[in-house]
Amino acid sequence: MNSPTTQPATSVLLIEDNPGDADLVRLRLVEGQSPVKVNCVNRLSDGLASLTVETPSVVLLDLNLPDSHGAETFRRLIEHSPNVPVVVLSGQDDEALAMKAVHLGVQDYLVKSNLSSKHLERAIRYAVERQALLRALEITQKKQLEFKNQFLSHVSHELRTPLTCIHQYVTLLLDGLAGPVTPDQGDHLKTVLKSVNQLHAMIRDLLEATRAESGKMRIEPRCISLSELLHQAVAMLRPTADEKKVGLEIGVDQRLPLVLADPDRVLEVLINLVDNAIKFTPADGSVMLQANIVDADPGSVYVAVSDTGRGINPEAKSLIFERLYQDPDSIDNNRSGFGLGLFICREIIRLHDGRIWVSSEPGQGSTFTFTLPVYSLAKLLAPVISYQDRLRASFVLVRVDLTPVTNPPRGNWKETWQQCLEIVRRCIYLDKDLVLPPMGTSGAVETFFVVASTDLERSGIMTTRIREQLECVPDFKAKCMLAITTVPVQLLAAGEGKLLEKQVQGVADCVTQMILKSLERKPVSFGNDSAGKKQRKSQSRTKIN
Amino acid sequence: MTKPKILVVDDDPDLVRAMRLRLRANNYEVVTATDGYSAIASAQKDRPSLIILDLGLPAGDGFVVLERLQNADALAGIPVIVLSARDPQSNEERALKAGAAAFFQKPADNDELMNVIRVSIGSAATQPRAPWPS
Repeated sequence: MNSPTTQPATSVLLIEDNPGDADLVRLRLVEGQSPVKVNCVNRLSDGLASLTVETPSVVLLDLNLPDSHGAETFRRLIEHSPNVPVVVLSGQDDEALAMKAVHLGVQDYLVKSNLSSKHLERAIRYAVERQALLRALEITQKKQLEFKNQFLSHVSHELRTPLTCIHQYVTLLLDGLAGPVTPDQGDHLKTVLKSVNQLHAMIRDLLEATRAESGKMRIEPRCISLSELLHQAVAMLRPTADEKKVGLEIGVDQRLPLVLADPDRVLEVLINLVDNAIKFTPADGSVMLQANIVDADPGSVYVAVSDTGRGINPEAKSLIFERLYQDPDSIDNNRSGFGLGLFICREIIRLHDGRIWVSSEPGQGSTFTFTLPVYSLAKLLAPVISYQDRLRASFVLVRVDLTPVTNPPRGNWKETWQQCLEIVRRCIYLDKDLVLPPMGTSGAVETFFVVASTDLERSGIMTTRIREQLECVPDFKAKCMLAITTVPVQLLAAGEGKLLEKQVQGVADCVTQMILKSLERKPVSFGNDSAGKKQRKSQSRTKIN
Repeated sequence: MTKPKILVVDDDPDLVRAMRLRLRANNYEVVTATDGYSAIASAQKDRPSLIILDLGLPAGDGFVVLERLQNADALAGIPVIVLSARDPQSNEERALKAGAAAFFQKPADNDELMNVIRVSIGSAATQPRAPWPS
């Protein structure tokens, strides 16, 4: 049993600048029945400093201090120490301010003129209790979320084991490895396989959404040409569209810059949006994929997927990107999945610092638009290709291709190419050359570009250095083949007389065009390309057969 | 010409049986193990051309098996393909670092898996002291 004398003292941090008021509060506290230890400071900054050293049981806070006034005072205090209970002691009986304080997390709002010791003591005790309950609730919620995420990731792992077994035996039968199958039986088995694939996609979505929710979703940004990705998505979904007799078209702005994004993840978003669009578009309708730049927002590329389906009603628009949302009006009878697709899309785009939204009128179709950050070559080039406010004399574009000796590559290919990229970065002059991020090319080949402020003749020194250094990587020749090509950057319009900024932009545009053109010419690769992609695309939406 | 021998290691006997059927149909000889300990024993005795390895195994999980294989001179050259239900985000890199030639998440695409098996056996045969001979 705790007798009042053995009870630990309540430690109070009193932030009050008026000595008279401070004495009054101190007196009221001492008059009370329970032991109290008071630390009084007269500036908010001193209060905050004291809170970083020691956590009191409660803070009693005056609002008008020499360094802070009114609502700003409790806002700053709560932002600084969200877990300490705060009771406002104010000179004015302002109900609106009191409500604002409580909404921001203040535990009580007392008016100094009606302060009795009993009243104050009780207010402090309840404030401490309420804050403790709140904290316990927060901890429980956090634990529950962690538990849920762990549970889901465990479930998705456990579901894969029996699913793998079903998949293996169905494909054994379908491939005729367990004896001949009649055409009817084959059809039935294909139906089973389709459901297995659907289940597999659902498990993957579940894990993906869990990852997104717990902040464990990762992206690996590269320099990518969106046009290539759009074509890839369309090629993958063409059969589905054809089957439903839905048109599928692409419109890409010719001036499209490179974007910095994870190609596998963006492809995942595109496939999800296009697949949905096809699903909700009736026969003879059409789906359009577009990528544009908008003059008002030069830092982003806008990608839009529009359909001529039945549209989305206004209430659904705000909910459609939420987890587990399913359109209640959906008349689509092969509705599948958990309603996690758009949630995952939103999280992927969010990780890229982009935005995603939908515009739609019922009966008029829908357009899903997302933005991705432009890889601003001009900004990065500016310090390296100019010197004393003038453009340097000449530039070359160096392309380094690393082709693994086998396709798919053996062992940790990612580690190998990352090591090589690091070496290339160490072979350049930081003040006049620039190594671009890895390119989002398809297949196992890794391509790096270097923009160097030199001419073709002298660039040989750099490329020789790169080659020599790369060949020093242990087992380099057993792992990959190296190709280095150098092309001079020929500026179309001579930059003389133009603003330096414009000249740099000119070089950046020219280099972008050269890179895009250069990437159209695929380097030598081995075997079948789709298997090579597996190395980078183990997470992506490839169908299992 | 003798058929290349593949060791399939998985604690699910039903899956092992299905894999055996598929690999045999693709002209491979198949030996099997259902735990980590017998996987090493079989690798030593049968000297397979390739190992398909699950990660969650009794008596020494897949990572233990990978480590043992890498530490045994005579076995370090055998390419290992990891086939696991575990999340690639947390296991793929670790498996590749431990010496695996490739990582597949279950259920895997059969064509891709067969292609990687073919390529891995082919390159190991031409370069006997794999994974990365100098």
